[in-house]
Amino acid sequence: MSLVDSPPAGPPVSSARATARLLGSELRLVFGRVRNIVLLVGLAAVPLLIGTVLFVTQDTPVAGQGPPFLDRVTGNGVFLVFAALVSCLPFLLPLCVSIVSGDAVAGEASAGTLRYLLVVPVPRTRLLLVKAVAALAYAAAAVTAIAGVGLVAGAAFFGVGDVVLLSGDTIPLAEGMLRTLGVVGYVVASLTGLVAVGLFLSTLTEVPVAAMAATVVVAIVSGVLDALPQLSAIHPALLTHHWLDFGEFLRLEVDASTLFAGLAVQAAWVAVFGALAWSRFTTADVSS
Amino acid sequence: MSGAEGDAGDAEGAGDAEGAAVRTRGLTKRFRSGQVGVDGVDLLVPRGAVYGFLGPNGSGKTTTIRMLLGLVSPTAGSVELLGTAMPGGGAEVLPRVGALVEGPAFHPYLSGEANLRRLDAADPTSAPGSRTRRIGAALERVGLTAAAGKRYRQYSLGMKQRLGLAAALLRPRDLLLLDEPTNGLDPQGTREVRALVREVADAGATVLVSSHLLSEIEQVCSHVGIMSRGTLLAQGPREEIADEGTTEVRVMTRPDQRAHAVRVLSGLGLDGARADGEVVAAPLGSVAVEKVAQAVVGDGIDLLGLEVRRPTLEDVFVRLTGEGFDVAR
Amino acid sequence: MDTTRSLSPRARWAVPAVVAGAVAAAFAVPATMGAVASDELPAVTADELVERLAVAEKVPVSGTVVYTARLGLPDVTVSEIQGAGPLDLLGGSSTVRVWSDGEDSSRAALLGEVSEYSVVRDGPEAWTYSSADDEAVHYVVDPADLERYEALAQEGAEPPVDGDVPTPSEAAGLALAYARTTTDVTTTEPVEVAGRAAYQLEMRPQTDGTLVDRVLVAVDAETSVPLRTQVWSVQDAESPAIEVGFTDVSFDAPDLSVFDFSAPAGADVREVEVPLPEPGTLEQPSSDALGKDAGVAVSGTGWETVVELSDVDVDEILGATSEGRLPEGSTGSSGADDLFEELTESEDGELPGLPELDTQALYEQLTTEVDGGRLLTSALLSVLVTDDGRVLAGAVPPATLEELAG
Ligand SMILES: Nc1ncnc2c1ncn2[C@@H]1O[C@H](COP(=O)(O)OP(=O)(O)OP(=O)(O)O)[C@@H](O)[C@H]1O
Ligand SMILES: [Mg+2]
Repeated sequence: MSLVDSPPAGPPVSSARATARLLGSELRLVFGRVRNIVLLVGLAAVPLLIGTVLFVTQDTPVAGQGPPFLDRVTGNGVFLVFAALVSCLPFLLPLCVSIVSGDAVAGEASAGTLRYLLVVPVPRTRLLLVKAVAALAYAAAAVTAIAGVGLVAGAAFFGVGDVVLLSGDTIPLAEGMLRTLGVVGYVVASLTGLVAVGLFLSTLTEVPVAAMAATVVVAIVSGVLDALPQLSAIHPALLTHHWLDFGEFLRLEVDASTLFAGLAVQAAWVAVFGALAWSRFTTADVSS
Repeated sequence: MSGAEGDAGDAEGAGDAEGAAVRTRGLTKRFRSGQVGVDGVDLLVPRGAVYGFLGPNGSGKTTTIRMLLGLVSPTAGSVELLGTAMPGGGAEVLPRVGALVEGPAFHPYLSGEANLRRLDAADPTSAPGSRTRRIGAALERVGLTAAAGKRYRQYSLGMKQRLGLAAALLRPRDLLLLDEPTNGLDPQGTREVRALVREVADAGATVLVSSHLLSEIEQVCSHVGIMSRGTLLAQGPREEIADEGTTEVRVMTRPDQRAHAVRVLSGLGLDGARADGEVVAAPLGSVAVEKVAQAVVGDGIDLLGLEVRRPTLEDVFVRLTGEGFDVAR
Repeated sequence: MDTTRSLSPRARWAVPAVVAGAVAAAFAVPATMGAVASDELPAVTADELVERLAVAEKVPVSGTVVYTARLGLPDVTVSEIQGAGPLDLLGGSSTVRVWSDGEDSSRAALLGEVSEYSVVRDGPEAWTYSSADDEAVHYVVDPADLERYEALAQEGAEPPVDGDVPTPSEAAGLALAYARTTTDVTTTEPVEVAGRAAYQLEMRPQTDGTLVDRVLVAVDAETSVPLRTQVWSVQDAESPAIEVGFTDVSFDAPDLSVFDFSAPAGADVREVEVPLPEPGTLEQPSSDALGKDAGVAVSGTGWETVVELSDVDVDEILGATSEGRLPEGSTGSSGADDLFEELTESEDGELPGLPELDTQALYEQLTTEVDGGRLLTSALLSVLVTDDGRVLAGAVPPATLEELAG
């Protein structure tokens, strides 16, 4: 009694295959969207901008002033990666991550496409998981874009060489590159908590801008609380407190427990807000 | 007239052999605002039927369809689609159900075709190999082939509606739930949708079409359900519902003879005879129409015309849901 | 997908609650889990413990030290802008990584967020390096004194390095110096520090005239290495005013390359030759640096010691940072001395990590105007700078100083 006489579609594929297929579609959606591409390009422009400014001003008295690592860049282009990451971490990176993760569910809800995905049917848990992974992939792409462009621009402007650690010791460039990879990985991992928060807020509303703004606010408020010495008791649990711990990769001996502490806090935020997002999304009425 | 419950009982007996395509029991939705959008609805759509789901604005049609699809969880009551309980059986049964809920919705910055690709990729049971062919066929079917590569943002209202139908027809379906499918379509498009519905039904699928515009679906549906203020007032085969109305006899005569005509008709035992604009009308009841003609002419009235008006769905609809223009809630 | 539908909505909302509980538990458990059996240690008396400390062989130590100061000073933490430097130690919490081979090589790194201040000693030479301004200072013993250094090194003496970073051992050394003055020394219940069982010495001043309530020194039961020192102020019974202790410690010999430091390419390097002090002059305050005619007077004894410097030109010290260095031991009490040094410290060069700091502004921020001068009060130390050029300092209440100043 089928409507079209072609044979029914193939047997249901395994859950993992189906998830992978949906993820592919989701990644195309996220990375194909002009807004998201523009944001990525904007982030990638930051190291370029810093590199250009440093290149132009390197022989003037203002050279060597500014945030950490900035004064090292002219001596070794590798530091442009770190200088750019330090510049983007307080606001630009959280902003981009918030936009994509806050949009994840709320964007589909406001467009109405959520109801059609759900009646396809896509199980809500799977949809949420795929949205989370795609948002995280975007965060990874953002950090990688900054680091990659930073490295290329740094090498082009200033050349690269052996890396002087924060402790004053010098390591070979190859090890420096490995540690840079570690920095990139750690910064990406540092953003997972924010992705989870954004995803949860995204399940609460059908207005994507509201979810995005609320997520940015969470990141910024966390930064503000982190700066209040009166709250030092709660600092270690704050979402943003360990973000700059990527500096651990530039110390004499990389202390795994320091890195784990930061990762554990992110894991805690992911667990709590991931669970909240799941509860909310699998119980909510879709009336958009 | 038989109420919703009586009809449901009848239809249930009829549908037992095959099971109903849609069956709800006591379906109720109370929103968080406290408002009851759907109140104790026992929907029954037999397999193979084209079910016209009628009701004025705000009567709860869309909310009911959302509950059928598991988008909104009912406050009370149960839903069965194609014999499978929802929402638990969604993964199993929804691939066989095509739906259009409250208008089409797609990503505006993707082309129509890319939007369909995304939906198809999301479906764990669809075969990727035949994706392009199926999408092409679905677009063709709704007459969108020419605009397949255009961004959805640039579609006209009717084109959007057609793309929504194409999505519902991406795969062979056993059940189509179409909420206001003709909304925004030109007369040509409306006719095409009707043809499509008929074609789908002829192929053996069940179709539930909701509308507040009766005329649009009256012609295609075999069954009718009428919603008002969240309750299902009547449902059943279209003729049965229509027969709920009363056959009227309408006598045309000169203006000065109308009062006379009313007396004559009353004399025949037709209660409720009245001058209705330029005609004199009365419910026919069991009186034969030729008796009426004879009586009128025999009494010296100039009979300019005589009409027997069979009840229409619209009469029933309006009588059940009221004439008012304002939405009920 | 069935699982997502098989839980009732209410049960589903219980999931985040359970997860939150599990997370809280996961973060709470490691704090209690690593508990070592510190209560099974054989009892020792205070005298035995002091003796053990005195004769303990130096062993290699490495680990992480957290230093926390709750001195009640205005917040002058500047590491966010300036990078890690010794001034961080005035308030808040600082983390120091330490490595020591147990002999004459050691390294300490004061960690800033993305900066570091390192002090590396390797025999007769030492380095300090600040990542924030990429500046290294190289201290070498005067070649003329090298021979004598070798001899001294056998006895465990070290060349002095400025801008030093505190470690529990040093703090314990200071505390033990106090123990010889008018102090009750007892032991407390054994404690656990950095996952190790430790004995703890408690030293209480016998007088009420000091700001110091008690000093606690936790000593590793196995190696007799001091693991933690706490100084409690009479003003705060809740938490110690100064605490410096290991949060993580290992007694394995560190990789020797850790002590092998040379200035990185491109860094500003300053060479400093350190003459070894003549024997016997080690504790003598030198007044040279305090303005031409500065005199030193000491009143009170033990915990109540107040040092009075006269004819100090405060403006000169604050302005000419390159000259105004307070020599070690000049306040007579080494704890007060250390603090005083940190507050006014300015090496023969600049304060490490603080090249652009406005010392005058800092001075005004830290002190309050009082009758006839400016007063600095903190949980452990009071300093009075009178308008007529005298500086009084001691671990005593401010009133004592004002009284002395007249
Ligand atoms: N999410 C919601 N929250 C609160 N009330 C709602 C919600 N959705 C619908 N309603 C209310 O429920 C009632 C039924 O709405 P529904 O959309 O089902 O009507 P409908 O029959 O589809 O109307 P129309 O013909 O205009 O599409 C309306 O009164 C509406 O205001
Ligand atoms: Mg509707």
